Formats: sequence, C-alpha cells, structure tokens
Amino acid sequence: MRRSLALVSGEERLLQNLSEQQKFGEPLPDFSLRTIDGQSANIGRVLNGKKGAVIVVWSSTCSHCIRYDKYFNGFAGKYPDIGLLIVSSRSGEDLEAVRKAAGQRKLKFTIVHDPAGTVANQWFTRQTPRAFLLDANGALLYRGAVDNYKYSDDPEFVAYLEPAIDQFLAGKAIEKQETASYGCAIQSVYYTLPKAL
Amino acid sequence: MSSNNSFFGIPALLESGLVMAQSAMKTAQRRIDDLTGHSYEIKGAPVEGPEDIDLAVADFANRMSRFARYSYDPLDLSRLATASGEIVSAAKASFRNFSLTDPRNVALPVQVALSLGSLMAESALRGLVTFDVVGPARMPRLVSDFFEMFTETPVFAGLEYGDLIEKCENRLAVDPNDHRARLELARLLSKCGRYEDADIEFKKIPGGAPQYAVARHEAAVALYRAGRYLPAVKSEVDALHADPKDERSRAILFLSADKLGGYPEFVPEPFRISIKAGWAKPAVEFEDVAAKVGLDKTSGGRGSAIFDYNNDGYLDIVLGAAYGGTQLYHNNGDGTFTDVSIDSGVDIAVNTFATIAADYDNDGNVDLYCTRQGFYVGEGTLFRNNGDGTFTDVTESSGLKDVWGPAFTASWIDYDNDGFLDLFVANNLGGIFERKTPNRLFHNNGDGTFSDVTHKAGIDTLWPTIGGAWGDYDNDGLMDLFLSNGLGRSQLFHNNGDGTFTDVSERAGVTAMGFGSPSFWWDYDNDGWMDIGQYIWSDHDDVVYTLRHGEGPPRGQSMRVYHNNRDGTFTLVSRELGLNGCWGTMSGSFGDFNNDGYLDLVLGNGSPKLDRLDPLVLLENDGQKFRNTTFAAGLPFTGKSHGANLGDLFGDGRLSVIVAAGGAYPGDLLTTGVYCPKTLPGNYLNVRLVGTKSNRSAIGARVMLEASGHRQYREVTGGTNFGCAPLEQHFGLGKLEKIEAMEVRWPSGLKQRFTDLPINKTLEFREGALDWSDVYASARARAR
Repeated sequence: MRRSLALVSGEERLLQNLSEQQKFGEPLPDFSLRTIDGQSANIGRVLNGKKGAVIVVWSSTCSHCIRYDKYFNGFAGKYPDIGLLIVSSRSGEDLEAVRKAAGQRKLKFTIVHDPAGTVANQWFTRQTPRAFLLDANGALLYRGAVDNYKYSDDPEFVAYLEPAIDQFLAGKAIEKQETASYGCAIQSVYYTLPKAL
Repeated sequence: MSSNNSFFGIPALLESGLVMAQSAMKTAQRRIDDLTGHSYEIKGAPVEGPEDIDLAVADFANRMSRFARYSYDPLDLSRLATASGEIVSAAKASFRNFSLTDPRNVALPVQVALSLGSLMAESALRGLVTFDVVGPARMPRLVSDFFEMFTETPVFAGLEYGDLIEKCENRLAVDPNDHRARLELARLLSKCGRYEDADIEFKKIPGGAPQYAVARHEAAVALYRAGRYLPAVKSEVDALHADPKDERSRAILFLSADKLGGYPEFVPEPFRISIKAGWAKPAVEFEDVAAKVGLDKTSGGRGSAIFDYNNDGYLDIVLGAAYGGTQLYHNNGDGTFTDVSIDSGVDIAVNTFATIAADYDNDGNVDLYCTRQGFYVGEGTLFRNNGDGTFTDVTESSGLKDVWGPAFTASWIDYDNDGFLDLFVANNLGGIFERKTPNRLFHNNGDGTFSDVTHKAGIDTLWPTIGGAWGDYDNDGLMDLFLSNGLGRSQLFHNNGDGTFTDVSERAGVTAMGFGSPSFWWDYDNDGWMDIGQYIWSDHDDVVYTLRHGEGPPRGQSMRVYHNNRDGTFTLVSRELGLNGCWGTMSGSFGDFNNDGYLDLVLGNGSPKLDRLDPLVLLENDGQKFRNTTFAAGLPFTGKSHGANLGDLFGDGRLSVIVAAGGAYPGDLLTTGVYCPKTLPGNYLNVRLVGTKSNRSAIGARVMLEASGHRQYREVTGGTNFGCAPLEQHFGLGKLEKIEAMEVRWPSGLKQRFTDLPINKTLEFREGALDWSDVYASARARAR
C-alpha cells in the first residue's frame, strides 16, 4: 500500500516500527539534518518540485564512494527531475573532513552531515555507498548499489540505479527493486579503536 | 620425510633456545606482574588504548613498523624534528594507560624490556620458520610482501587509508620524483578499487626507475580488475621487458590475454606461458550458476557456512564479508536464493571472518558464531536463531563479550560429550609484531552461557593458529584437536576426557613447519580411522610454478595429508597421493563431489595481494590418487578465495562448489562463485542427524555407510575452514544401488544400525528413533 508522505506526521513516523527493514512502496523514516553548508535538509526538501529523489548513504572516506564522484557530479544535469542528496554517514566523521573532501574533490552535490549514522541506522544500512530511489510521495522504489562495482568499460558492467530511475520516469514498474550493496563499513567494528596512524 | 624435516637446516638448538628465552622472559614478567599487581587477563576491545604492557609494547612496535614504511627519506636531517615528534606521539598513543606516577608501574622499565625481549624472541621464531619454509632466495620478497600486508591491515580495517593517500600526496608535492612514494600512492588507490586513478599514478613512474617493473605489473593488475584487458597485456609486456624473470607478471599477462581470447601477436614468445596443471580428465564437469541462482554479488569474501536456518529443509548460505555486514542467502527451494541479510539481522556483524553454524542451545534452530577481522584484532559475535527467520546478537548475555583476539577461525565442538556444544576460537596474529593471543575454549554451561576453560584445557601454543580441527583419531569417542599453525609447527592435542588435553604432536609425528591454513579430519581411504588434512599456503611464485609445471617446485610445500597409522602415529602421505601442487591455499573443503565413494577436495587459494588471482583447485580422489581436474572440469581463476565450500544446494545429490572471493582490501571486488555439477555423477545418499541426548547438531557423530561391501566413514564437524561444511553428510555411491547398512555412533555413546536405506535421497535420523524421514519429501508436503 502506498502512503502519501503528507499523511505521515512526524509523530507517526517516529512510531513506525523500525524493527524491520522498510518495504517498497512505503515511505522511509524522515530525518532533519544540516548540510555541510549549514542548511537544513530532509526528505521533503529534496523532493520539492521534483518527480522523485535519490538519497545516498555515503562517506567522505569511503573508497567506493569516490569512484562515483563524477557520476553524482553530473547527476543533476542528467536527471533534472530527480533530486539528489548525499548523506555523509561514516560514524564519527568530522564535519571539517567532509568539507575538505568536498572541496578537494570538487563535489557539486548537496551533502548532509550525519556523524551519528542516524539515517543509516534507521534505513538498515551498514555500508557505503547505498542508494535509495523515492517517488514524489517519498515512497521507496529502489534500494541498493549504483552498479555492480565494475567500471563502465568492463564487459561485465551492469548498472542498477539508472535503469530503476529510467523505468520510474517512464512510468514503468521497477524491474529490479533491490540489489545487494557492498562497500565500506559505516562502522568498521562495533567500537572505535584508537587511530592506527 | 621426517615430520621434523628442516629444509634449510635451521639448528634445533637455535629454535629451542629462542623458545626457552621467550618462556624465561615471560615467566620473569609474570613474577613482576604478581608483585606489582598488574593483570594480564584477556579483556575486551582496547577501545581506550592498550591496557597491559605486552599489548602496549606490541602496539608501539607496530606503530614503528608503519612509521618506517610511510616515512620518506629517514636520513633527511631537516625532517628529524618531525620524525622525532611522530615517534613520541606513537609512544604516547601506545602507553597512554601507563602513568609513571602509578605505584604499580614502579618496575615499568624492566617490564617493558622483558616484554620487548619476549616479543622479539617470538618474532625471531616466526622469522626462522619463514626462512625454513621459503629458503634464502625467496625470503626477501616474501618478507616484503608480509611487511606490506601486516603494516596496513589496521589502517584498512579502521578505514584510515584516506590519511595514507594524503601522506603520499604531500610527499609528492615536495618531491614529485620520489618514485617510492608514487608507487605507494598508486598501490593505495588500487587497493581502494580506484583502478583508473591508480593507473595514472603508476604511469608516472618512468622506465629506469627501480620501481618501474613492479609498477607496470601492478598497473596491469589494476587494469585487469577494471576490465581493460588489452592495456593490461601491454603493461605486463613492459614489466617483463624490464624484469624478464618475474613470474607474477607472466601470470597476470596470461590471464589478461586469456580474456582477449589468446596472446596478441605483439607479446614475445618468452613472456608466454601455458598451463599444465588442472587438465586431468574429470569425472564431473561444473557450470557457473552464480548469476542464475542470485549469488553473483561482490561479497568481500571471507568464510562461508551452508546450513538450514529456517528449518524448511533447504540449505541456506551465510558469507562473512570484509568491510561489510555478514550476508545470509535464503534458499527458495526453486534453485534461487534471496538476500535476507538485513531482515534476518545478521548484517550487523561487520568484518566477519569465519562463520560457523550449529545449534548451541539445542532448541532446534541452527545458530551462528562469527569471528571478526582475523589478522587485526576483533571481537566475535554469537547470534541466537530465534526460529522466525531472525537472529539476535547474544554475545554479551552468553558471556562471550570479551572474546577479543585476531581470530581467523572457530569451531563448535562438544569436547566433553555433555550434550551441549562448546566453542573453540583459534587466534592468529594481529600485527607484524604481535605476541600470540591464546586460543580459547569455552564450555557451554547448558543455560545459554559459556565459561572460559582455556587454562584448564592446556591447549596453549606459541605458534599463531589459523585453524583448529576436531576429530576422534583414536576412536575413543572423544574429539581430539589438531592445530594448523601459520608460521609454525602444527600440533595434535589428545582429549583426556577430563577437560584436559595432552600435546602428543611429537609422538604423532605431525610437527612439520609450514604456512598452515585451516585443517580437517577425514577418512580419505575409508579405513575407519580419521586422517588429517592440512591446507598449506604457498608463495605466489610457487603457485605460478605449479600452474606451469603441473606440480610444485622441488622444495615447495604442498597440502598435507597425514595417514592415521591406528597406533597414535601418523605418516605424511601427500606426495604418494599425488598432492604435489603448491597452491596458496587459504581454505577449502572436502566432499565426494564426483559421487564415486571417495572424498574429493576443493582448494580456495590466494592472498590479500591484488595480483593473487589464483584459481580454485579441484582434486578428484579415485581411491588411489588425487588428480587435478580444475580447468578440465570448467572452473575459472576465481581469485583470492577464503570461503571455498561444498554443499548439495539443490537437494539433488550434486555437490556445488561455493566460493566467496575477494575482500582483503576494499577494492578487492571479486564476486561470489557457485559452480554446480552439470550432471548427477552417480548415486548418493545425504544423511542429516538430529541429536536428542547428544548435542542436537550431532557434531562429533561418526557415520559408517556400507554399500556392496564398500564402506565409507564421516564425522560430523562444526567448523574446519573459514566457516563450516554442511552438517549434512553426503555419501557418493557411484553405480551402487543398494545400501546394506548405516551405523551411527552418536556423541552420547549410543550406537544405531539402519538397514535397507533408499538411495538418491536426503534422509534425517533422530537419535534413538528407529525410522527416518525424507527431508525433501517433507518439505514439498509442507509447501503444498
């Protein structure tokens, strides 16, 4: 059953059962976080004026995320109707480090800072990057990897996120709603050990 | 060959002298500790830094090894102040919990000296073993490989590689011609999976630089992994022009060219190789079904376990993952699997190394224990199966919270036959300078909690342990322990039946040195006495040699099989059995995949290094010898493989090979492989045992099956490689159609005999019951 985002109040959202992973066609728990420039951000704002949105659980230190810099930098140009929000989720990740990475890597997309990994926790995500495609109502359409971790000129390359977006924009059902995601752990172990370096 | 044979003549006096020195210094340390009130009990994770002097000294030594690796121009006096500062801050980090004003630290300088001394003695012993195993010619490159891997494991585990990349970039900003820093940067990028960025950096190392040949080789590896095979071939040709002797380059050149359909014309003849190993005629051919069944995922491959987590009859799969969460795949019963990692709750265990599955609380649901990290210290996780498709982390409430150590593997075992499964954890090394963390044995109290009985058991060892295998070698009904030690001698402990064990290694004749990988008990010759199998890791050059020549080099070390002489002694028979290949074996599994009545082997091979794109190796046992049928049977070069396992995934008598590949570095993005026999190679019987008085998983039970006079024996194990083989026992019957009898010796001591069993079925037997049930017939009936 699809539920309109507007019908789910903040309180109701808090009461949503978080003991199991969210289902497709249903909204994800919202969040209220600051972008690395200090602006407030939540699901509604990303969706504002758009047909849908992609939200990516991400980390500035994640070696896999770096490989998608170019892709996400060009995302707004390729998909003007789809909002994009990157959630910097690595446990304990320093705001300055994220800002520095964004500057050095010339990242053009909006990044929110979530050093407690709240979104990742609520969205049952342990590793970065993991992408979520939502429709205009915030209902979950696709969840998982951007592709199969191959390079685009690899004969074995398969894209996952893009076909889902294309099918959504074409008004078709999403063929592959979920793929396994693999990447850097949001927390490498349960606890944070003293730095090795 | 004597089991104590020392290839390069390491004097026994030197080895025993080091052992004695280490022991004496450790004793002196403990005396001082007693006086000063320091405790050396193993605690939980040192979240606030090392809490005892041994850990602090080792931590400091490891920090210094990283400092040595990542410092450039250590002789540059202008950097002296910076270097001193780094050493001081490393010392502060390692000794942060030791204040000189604390009266307990009055003897700190002596304690540190003794600790350093015993640490160095242990390290020297490992150095001796390495020298003995690989010899003087191979030693420098291997030490360099080990140094590279060990110094950076905590950096990658803590995801601090960004800092290292920055360090290299800063150095290159000062001196763009520092080719050592450039090579390090390119390697780091490659290990992060940024292959194209790595290629750009590798290209900046000019011909004539000492690093040129290795840079071209490693660039080729990055290009190969990025799917750019022609540039990879060109890069290796450049590498071989610079260093024509490098066999590793030849291996990657072969693989890259193979992807293009053969060597391009421009590849000079001397750079080409042909593969002699793996072409023996197979009794069964395999097809790659990973994509078809839904398992072709990048998994960060570690250990694997095959078990039925939801009691629907079908065997499910759990995979450990480096960097990511543990993965559980539900067998849908229609030839496909669904990823239920998150919904089941097991994905919360990040960085799982080995996964072992058994019902420790005898509630009818198979539980999981996961070791974490392996080389780098971590804490295990015990998952209780709730019986509704979900698991709960009960590590803390079960008393296993502080099982802290560099554990590669673990086993479920009922060592005292009290009907509850106990837990054995094998610890390796956590760093290049690390003292051995004791292996741990935990007794199951029967109420969901465990007690540490390590000291009483007497299973201490000085050597770093990769795998412990439990089996009853003297047929006394008690499970004994074989330790396969990496960088050391292997050991056999006899179970005395009173909670203690006796080291009988010397008498048994199993103390050969080697790079031990996990080991296992099996009856490969069907004589009713359990023999030992021990996987042995080999250097890359030995693997390439084996591929090219069909057997390992004269002094190479192949996997070991010790034949049980039935008198408490064993004879090494590997060579006689045709096991003469030197594979970089890290794990494996045994099972009769050609259904001919003899146990076959599959070896998972490689190393963390990204150029170790080794093949899986299939070895068919025809009752006399093992024949390598790998490539003839259709298996590819899968790359680094910890979780090689065998199981009847589709319930039809065909044992599939499953391998979780890749994983040591974040950029090691190999995918899980599943290879299924194309045809049913012979008749079979699958047997599942359910203990009632014995532990419910029946671990330790012995099964004898007799068909047309041909006997086969199995012992149910609870973890022998980086994970565990299925609890289900698979018997191949070839063309035989009648089973005369099956006898079960349950861990409780009960012996049962069954006759007139059907063939080509999966049957379940309950302890004490006279009949059996057909697992899949029941599953189909439930589904209807």
